[in-house]
Amino acid sequence: MSWTHAQIVTELIRVIQSHVDDCERVDAASELVGDLGIDSLGVMEVMADLEDSFSLVIDEADLRDVATIGDVAKAVETRLQQVGRLQP
Amino acid sequence: MSDSLRTVVQALEDAAESTRTGYRFIEEGTTAEPFLTYGGVERATARFAGAFQAMGLNKGDRLALILPDNQDFIFAFLGALRAGIVPVPIYPPAGLRKLGGYLDNTLHIIAKSGAKMVVTDTDIKRLLGRIQARASDLRGIVTVESLRRAKDTLVPVHVDLDDTAFLQFTSGSTSQPKGVIVSHRNIAANVQAFMRDGLQVQDGVDSGVSWLPLYHDMGLIGFVLAPLYHRTTVSFMPPLSFLKRPIRWLEAISRHRGTISFGPNFAYALCVKRVRDVAPNTLDLSHWRIAGCGAEPIRAANLRAFAEKFAPFGFNARHFLPCYGMAEATLAISFGRMGEGIHAERVDSIKLAEGQAELASDDTSADEVAEVVCCGSSFDDHEIAIFALEDVDGLHPLADRAVGEIRIRGASVTSGYYAEPEITRASFAGGWMRTGDLGYLVEGRLYVCGRSKEIIIVNGRNYYPQDMEWEASKVRGVRKGNVIAFGTRKPLGDRERVVIAFETNIADEHAREAMKKELRRVVRQATGLSVDDVVVLDPGVLPKTSSGKLKRATTRELYENGQIFIRTSTRDGSAVGTAKQLAESQLGYARHALRGKPS
Repeated sequence: MSWTHAQIVTELIRVIQSHVDDCERVDAASELVGDLGIDSLGVMEVMADLEDSFSLVIDEADLRDVATIGDVAKAVETRLQQVGRLQP
Repeated sequence: MSDSLRTVVQALEDAAESTRTGYRFIEEGTTAEPFLTYGGVERATARFAGAFQAMGLNKGDRLALILPDNQDFIFAFLGALRAGIVPVPIYPPAGLRKLGGYLDNTLHIIAKSGAKMVVTDTDIKRLLGRIQARASDLRGIVTVESLRRAKDTLVPVHVDLDDTAFLQFTSGSTSQPKGVIVSHRNIAANVQAFMRDGLQVQDGVDSGVSWLPLYHDMGLIGFVLAPLYHRTTVSFMPPLSFLKRPIRWLEAISRHRGTISFGPNFAYALCVKRVRDVAPNTLDLSHWRIAGCGAEPIRAANLRAFAEKFAPFGFNARHFLPCYGMAEATLAISFGRMGEGIHAERVDSIKLAEGQAELASDDTSADEVAEVVCCGSSFDDHEIAIFALEDVDGLHPLADRAVGEIRIRGASVTSGYYAEPEITRASFAGGWMRTGDLGYLVEGRLYVCGRSKEIIIVNGRNYYPQDMEWEASKVRGVRKGNVIAFGTRKPLGDRERVVIAFETNIADEHAREAMKKELRRVVRQATGLSVDDVVVLDPGVLPKTSSGKLKRATTRELYENGQIFIRTSTRDGSAVGTAKQLAESQLGYARHALRGKPS
């Protein structure tokens, strides 16, 4: 399926929310490690879930510049665009 | 087999005759698994070697490698060796962390090694930015993409056993990275020790599977270099692939009938936690004859859980092979006995803290029993002995079961750290290399307790921070892997105070107080020790190395300076403010206790 920006962010937040304590408020500016307290192995688990959600492969190069959920959204969008599954 | 020692270069040239065995590269997002025979590896690495020579690099020059792709890394690394150039592997940026710390570390390694060039990929080159201006010996950064196209031929270079093969920078949790000098003789001697004596490898028959990062000794020596000497096939997969989906490791072992695969303790624990819903008969681990475990403290409980979970798929717990090693010994120092599995001793933890490993009796209460995993014995022509820390001349090895510093000697042991004469001198004691780890021997078999530099001594007893951290992480709400225990005697200096700092997502003050109380209780119960201060922190506050290891010494310093609470996240000014406030209130204890005056 193809995705719009808004759908991507919603799905991202849904996936990430499932990995953090309920009391955490998750938004685009949240840092995965710094704010949400997901450790580096936990981040890998999040990535695997995101790959399932978006039917993508997220590789090591995609994560280099990434700190916040907004950054992850951007990385996912770039990947989706490459395979023609991003809706304007 | 009596094998005289060979350089890596000689081993590669010999292996090139093989038309059946070589390296397989499992990649993400594709089922294609390119396989190169050692003949193909020989040709590819000759082109890389030729390209390095064409760039003006000569024998002995250092070349930094920051290459996340397994195939690129291996070709560049072996290519450099063939031209007599000294590669300096540096881990790639991990992401999700601030780049600043990574760049500082990378710059330190580049400057310290005097690297003339860096080979990396286009993307990382962009991130490295202006690093070049800050390292005086550095002439340039080349991309691996340009090397892949190179057609240069190698001008043969004579490489001797006593030449430096490469520099292994260690990212210790206690200090800045230091470059261990690894010679071809070190590698040849260590490979002979652990492949032939330790693993009884069958040339060309055994098959390795590895997800381990290649910029670390276990992946590099164990799965890139050692197999060349024995012409065994190795299947590499990207570390990230394993970390995202641990099942991929087991699937690769199953698919390629892997006989030898290694991982740190956490890798086995991760499989227990993350691998779910495997259908019967889809995974065959019955060929896996050596499941090595090393590189971090071994918890018998984790390995037992793994064995139980994967027994239905043919995994045999007797195939676990606990081991102990470090870059300073090239890789391996001791290996367990093949076919014995995990052998752990139950010792009296009170006596252990006093420096004596006495077996617990039936009467010893469960709280006072520590389980220590045996890491096996030394190899032929290598020695392990235990000394008192203060025995700087290495004259009086301690008796069996006395806890002291583990020291080693033999042909695998490094001559020292590159361009660090003082640290090198301090690392040796009368011909013995001081590992900085504490342990004890029983009839030549080694039991490792922890790092001596990090040990906490209270009332003459030794406490291992790892044990306290392990206990503390059982408390609900404590972020796993984000607990640091340390001792401090500043500035009063009378006795060591024990501090445990941990991160949590829980913000509620009452809940935090309850966690502190519970943590003190579990630590006291397990170790008999009263914790002097417990520090609760928001996520992301504890300092870590770029590879994600907790920095104990830095944490201690921050604590001593009253700066531990300052948040590293840049996102939210108010969060930082809150953290600072919290710091002030919690610092009350520290200020009173440590400085003796209210602030």
